[in-house]
Amino acid sequence: MAARLALGLPLRLPRITGAGVVMLLTAAALLLLVGLPLLYVLLQAIFPGWSRGELSGAFGLFVPLLSDPALLGLLGNTLRLGIAVVVVCALLAIPLGALRALTRVPGGAAWDLIFLIPFMIPPYIAALSWMLTLQPRGYAEQLSGLSASAFLFSFSGIVFVMVLNVFPVVYFAVSRTMMSVGGRYAAAARVSGAGGWRAFWRITLPLSTPGIAASLLLVFALTIEEFGTPATLGAQAGYKVLVTGIHERFADWPIDIPGAAVLSLLLVMLAMAAFYLQHWLVTRRSFVSQTGKPTAPERIELGPWRWPVVGLFSLVALIAVAVPILAVLATAFTGTLSGGIAWDNLSLRHFEALFANRGGAMQALSTSLGLAIGTALLTGVLGALVGYLVVRAQLRGKGLLDLLSLLPNTMPGIVVAVGLILAWNQSWWPIQIYNTGAMLLLAYACLLLPYPVRYASAAFRQMGESLEAAARVCGAGFFTAFRRILLPALAPSLIVSMLLVFAIASRELVASLMVAPAGMRTVSTFVFGQFEQGSPGVGMAMSAVAILTTTALLVALTVFSRKKLPIAG
Amino acid sequence: MHALKPFALSACLLALPGLASASALTVYSAGPGALIEDLAADFSEETGIEVNVFQSTTGQVMARLESEQANPLADVVISASWDSAESLHEEGLLHEYRSPNAETVPDFLKTDHYVAQGVSALALVWNRNSDVPQPNDWSDLTDAAYHDQVTMPDPAQSGAAFELISGLLTAMGEDATWQLMADLADNGMLVPGPNARALNPVLQGAKSVVFGAVDYISLGQQAEGEAIEVIFPESGTVIAPRPMMILASTAMPDEAEQFVDFVLSEQGQARVAERYLMPSRSDIEALRPTIEELTLIEVDSDAMNAQREAILERFREATGS
Repeated sequence: MAARLALGLPLRLPRITGAGVVMLLTAAALLLLVGLPLLYVLLQAIFPGWSRGELSGAFGLFVPLLSDPALLGLLGNTLRLGIAVVVVCALLAIPLGALRALTRVPGGAAWDLIFLIPFMIPPYIAALSWMLTLQPRGYAEQLSGLSASAFLFSFSGIVFVMVLNVFPVVYFAVSRTMMSVGGRYAAAARVSGAGGWRAFWRITLPLSTPGIAASLLLVFALTIEEFGTPATLGAQAGYKVLVTGIHERFADWPIDIPGAAVLSLLLVMLAMAAFYLQHWLVTRRSFVSQTGKPTAPERIELGPWRWPVVGLFSLVALIAVAVPILAVLATAFTGTLSGGIAWDNLSLRHFEALFANRGGAMQALSTSLGLAIGTALLTGVLGALVGYLVVRAQLRGKGLLDLLSLLPNTMPGIVVAVGLILAWNQSWWPIQIYNTGAMLLLAYACLLLPYPVRYASAAFRQMGESLEAAARVCGAGFFTAFRRILLPALAPSLIVSMLLVFAIASRELVASLMVAPAGMRTVSTFVFGQFEQGSPGVGMAMSAVAILTTTALLVALTVFSRKKLPIAG
Repeated sequence: MHALKPFALSACLLALPGLASASALTVYSAGPGALIEDLAADFSEETGIEVNVFQSTTGQVMARLESEQANPLADVVISASWDSAESLHEEGLLHEYRSPNAETVPDFLKTDHYVAQGVSALALVWNRNSDVPQPNDWSDLTDAAYHDQVTMPDPAQSGAAFELISGLLTAMGEDATWQLMADLADNGMLVPGPNARALNPVLQGAKSVVFGAVDYISLGQQAEGEAIEVIFPESGTVIAPRPMMILASTAMPDEAEQFVDFVLSEQGQARVAERYLMPSRSDIEALRPTIEELTLIEVDSDAMNAQREAILERFREATGS
């Protein structure tokens, strides 16, 4: 597959020009970054002895694994969870995003920053925080006598916690898309006699479909591959999904990598089905709404509705941001868990341990931040180019590239990590990058590339080709057109996606555990280690420092370039 | 856009502070992290040999070894499961070495290919602030007083918990063991996953007792002020030795052997004791009850491991997990 694609590209490119070369390089980078590890996972699934260099027993695992009746249950649970989270996310985040984009919500841009925070709380930390809060004798009970463990350790509880983790993806996609669709079409509709609601339902919402569908697809993919929440809450709820099955094969001695690879292929197929559904939705018709004509962002005044709307935003922020953060802080600032919330249990000892640099805490923080910045830049550049390639280039196999750029999102991090190890830990590579920090960068870039690609391709779909054509007529080459015309139009979506990448990369756990070179720690592997070894206080202190640092960095960035960043609105 | 590219690349390079140096010894170790860090630092100080540590859970360490088979990187491996060492040995992956410092290590804690770094035991952990009375034996927890108050690490995910089931099967016989498990399950026992996940609810008080916790973690927490007691049942418990081994593929066998010698030295074993593990050498003082003081169940591990799948299946059936 890889070979055919690589050969097919140069022949089909429109012109062998600057554009052609860039496109070729982009495709090659995508194949190297994503195609290679996936290929190795596929080979591992087909040949159980692959990691040992044996080719015997091809396909020997498929029949026994796929005919296991328990598998159907796992598959059903995974689908049910994915769909439930998508539906609840849509119900919660589309109204929030639409309100943010189309009306003057008091607080404006501040809400964008606040809703970025759930993304900086690692999912397993969020799940743990909710557990510490809602379980019997948890923080809620200590403070108010309330406990809701029956709700938390149930299907609804898992959906609740996962929605709070991923809804920002939809919120940002909806608000950015609707901002760029702008009030112009809706205004045209209203001039033609449509009421405000009618204009929204018939014009703004349908024109925003690509962005919304793409973000919901991301949510689906994120949900079916997420491990932390189902593992933390699902074990008590008795709710098992495919990913927990895959992880069991890695964590239970003896390790079963081939079996895990086969199950991963199932996950990938699920995500592919979702991908085609989304593809069908967004390519059925044209969503071009940016033609370069000036738009005056015109926002509706909310009048007396201001306060209920602010109330809604505050409630969501309270539940999605304040509760988990407070639980993290409560654990970090109390001497012992069994002592609970009490003045005499107040202690700084976990932070002292942290700042005394026990276990290399400070290096872990700087490693994670450096890697997150590197990943955001790398995936941002590559994502913009891949998005352009997929939407605009006239070449065969671009659908395949599109799919390839989404696949990592459907692969559990642990499987991508194993694919990377299998691919890069070979003695025949001229440069050995295995067992160096570059592996982490590769892993993050592979796992997170789908975000910039999704956001960028959705933005390109909304941009009229006439813009580029006009630039060409005026004598601009590909580079000039890309830089002067496409990039500014793309920037709002792309930058938001890069912030998401930064947030996720700064806390990625599962792949980091596998590919971090000996002697290097990231924030997440440090925190995970603290929990494993029975120091939840130090783990939570580190989480608090990391969440604070990444948030502060983003705020500083926003304030620093207020005019350029859409997040400042 | 293209002005960004070199910037991105240099940022990436900046993000890679530690390109692993080739002359360092690579050690993969299952927890406790503080122990392996201390050991590595002491060893480097004494010998001048640099040590790169990868520290994680036994499952992660083994998954990494498995996926690196094409080009193994680790020199020394420390696991928390004796069986994992045995199976690596059966695959012919281990380097033969008997450390001169292992003389006072009891015979059942050493072979020609691996030797215990330290030993932990399995225990009941009880939250002192809870409303339930202190339990003294495994079977106490079937009492109605402990309804919905007990957690247990999953034997499928914790080698130590599997060892405990094996021990109970040896000491009590099959029928009584599975009856006990079924009674515990009827009494609302929760099997949430690996060790830490069984312990955390008990620390906060959501649950009151862990059935089969790895002792050194809890002893350390108790020393830090958590209101818990670690109880070794009178009817007997099992131990979980932590095997340390050198991979046959190592490019630095001499340095690896030096490291093993160092861990088994008086200084190294004192470090092991500091973390509330039992030192494997019988002549080093422990900060906790030792093998001689505990009632131990003799387990025929080989026989039990041969039926591992069947035992886990039976466990899932009995507990409905």
